[in-house]
Amino acid sequence: MDEEEESGRRKFIRVATVGVSAACGIFPLAAGIPALLDPVKKSAGEAGAVPWSRITSLASLPEDGSPAKFEVVQERVVDAWTTYKDVPVGAVYLSRRKEEVVAFNLKCPHLGCAIDYRKQSNDYFCPCHNSSFALDGAITTENSPSPRPMDTMETKVEKGQVWIRFQHYRPNIAEKIPLS
Amino acid sequence: MKVVFDWLDDRSGYRNLLHEVLYEKVPGGARWRYVWGSCLTFAFFTQVVTGTLLWMFYSPSAQTAWESVYFLQYQVWGGWFLRGVHHYMAQAMIVLLVLHLMQVVIDGAYRAPRELNFWFGALMMGVTLALSLTGYLLPWDQKGYWATAVATNLMAEVPLIGPAIQKIVVGGVEYGHHTLTRFFALHAGVLPAMLIGLVVVHIYLFRKHGIHVKEPRPKKDSYFWPDQILKDAIACMAVLLAVVGLTIYFNGAPLGPPADPANEFPARPEWYFLFLFQLLKYVPAFWGAVIIPAFLALWILLQPFIGSSRPGHQLNVGFWWTLIAGSVALTLLAFSEDRTNIRHGAALEEANWQADRVFSIVEHQGIPPAGAVTLLREDRENRGRILFAAHCASCHRYNGHDGRGYPVDDAQSAPELAGFASQEWIEKLLVHQHYISEEYFGGTAFKDGTMAKKVLAKYTPEESALLPDIARLLSDMAELPYQDPLSEDERDELLALFYNDEEDFQDGLACIDCHDIDSEGDGYAPDLTGYGSDEWTVAFIKNPEEERFYGDENDRMPCYGRDEKLTAEEIQIISDWIRSRPAEE
Repeated sequence: MDEEEESGRRKFIRVATVGVSAACGIFPLAAGIPALLDPVKKSAGEAGAVPWSRITSLASLPEDGSPAKFEVVQERVVDAWTTYKDVPVGAVYLSRRKEEVVAFNLKCPHLGCAIDYRKQSNDYFCPCHNSSFALDGAITTENSPSPRPMDTMETKVEKGQVWIRFQHYRPNIAEKIPLS
Repeated sequence: MKVVFDWLDDRSGYRNLLHEVLYEKVPGGARWRYVWGSCLTFAFFTQVVTGTLLWMFYSPSAQTAWESVYFLQYQVWGGWFLRGVHHYMAQAMIVLLVLHLMQVVIDGAYRAPRELNFWFGALMMGVTLALSLTGYLLPWDQKGYWATAVATNLMAEVPLIGPAIQKIVVGGVEYGHHTLTRFFALHAGVLPAMLIGLVVVHIYLFRKHGIHVKEPRPKKDSYFWPDQILKDAIACMAVLLAVVGLTIYFNGAPLGPPADPANEFPARPEWYFLFLFQLLKYVPAFWGAVIIPAFLALWILLQPFIGSSRPGHQLNVGFWWTLIAGSVALTLLAFSEDRTNIRHGAALEEANWQADRVFSIVEHQGIPPAGAVTLLREDRENRGRILFAAHCASCHRYNGHDGRGYPVDDAQSAPELAGFASQEWIEKLLVHQHYISEEYFGGTAFKDGTMAKKVLAKYTPEESALLPDIARLLSDMAELPYQDPLSEDERDELLALFYNDEEDFQDGLACIDCHDIDSEGDGYAPDLTGYGSDEWTVAFIKNPEEERFYGDENDRMPCYGRDEKLTAEEIQIISDWIRSRPAEE
């Protein structure tokens, strides 16, 4: 065997060794990458319809339009492997506008603190970073920490019952983008 | 780039270290017989990485362990593959352990100055087996649950402290949340940490003394890098391919029905512990739990000294070969005993059925917070099988078995009930030879009753030809969910066959001479109004001695409702279950 051939053989062995070792070394992690990325894949693929939740009766809302706070109970909530029934998933402010209802998510669009309703000044106020909102949800603070008005949700009134499609939205951006 | 590496080398001296690691001398050249240690390290590395990933999905509690594993296996993208690799690599590790051990024993690499490392190796083997044992329980399925219960019961055999050890490991007296949290902490924390420490010491000691060379040396000396590493890497790749092959072939690791202490399952350990399982059929538990392990530990401790002479070494080699041969023989025996055991086969079938059942329920309604085991416990289909097996199958059969697929030891003494009240079932009932056979009333007093002797035995060929039509008419009253009901016209047509003017038919086939059908109860044989319907069946199971049924002619059928042997709900479940499907072909 001449020297050139020998050095070619040595080179092949080195490359083969590094290649096979690297393949073995990376495999265990690679085997779990799909599972690891599963949440990303699911949120991209499963932007299904938001279910309607019944909140209260229209009659129970003050006719003058002043807001009242309600728990939102979802009939069926799936958390990974467990399916729960009748789970409180959040809260909303409802205000009556004649035969219709406006719903605001309790969570501040800024960073998700719970917004209070202030009876004295008849407005909404976030006690964390002092964002304040009018009864229609509009921003009333100058240099408001919250980048957008309070998050409204789709509502309907059927046979005297108020239903909403409860949703959370991405915090701290000007657009209202549902979380999924 | 070079600047960065130079900087790093100045601060860490990594080049020297790397050189040290890679340019270990391999006297006699690279050889395949040295690959097992590297393969084991690779296998363990795979377990640590895949195990950490599995950790992100696993939830150790009695209500969430099986459920989270189910979720990973069936709902998470690629979850089955991740779990399968971990499962089969664990098994590969056991095989590699034996190969590595035998290479060390045969080559004499356990002798001075490598005694210490041999003992460390033995310790690592123990830790690896403990990892297997603890991992087997974590999915919290029937298999892991029942098998691990045997293993922890063995712990109690240790004198004095045994029961305390068992309680500590199990986290109490009964299996539950704390068994899982403890097993998980052992499996994912304590034992891997121990093994990592031991691997470091093992490799350090191995490097200190160098490779033990098996004479004669086939080639001139070379270095670990790249010759031996290439062989090691190829062997690791082969292991990996085998594991991936098994994972794909078996669709990942198995998952049985959820653990249930009230649902019996034949406990079997993983295959590599089967020899111990089999051994315990012949020796007392104390031997398996204490004496044999203690003897093995003692032998391992003394082996390097025994092996210092040539005959001693041969004794050691012979000892391990005998041990392996014995284990293989016991394992094969365990397999073959199970294979020829019909009840064992039925139990496995039943577990498969339960697993499929629970999967299909979960698919439709999800898993409640109380856990998947409640789905099976509350499932009327499953309860129907269990109730039938427990209360009906000592006399009746269902497709020839007890309703769950188990053979029944007692002779059949009451009718086969699969397809009860269906057209086929009734048609057969009305044939004399079937009526008096074991399949129907051969095991009862009715075999010699009026129906058998005075009616069925005396049918003329013309009358017999009408039996399918009678069966169709009678069976229609059962309103079985799998049978189409007769239309008005069909019914009228069939009835016309029996209520025509020619008297011969009515004589021989006049069921209503003895049985009532939609008439005032003066017949002395069972009332056939609504025969086999939900109402009829439930009422019959409740009290066959009611006047409308057997009255005081009842042979042996217990009055399940009247005597409060079963609740009304249970009777309803049995009736629904019997009436739910046709007999198997």
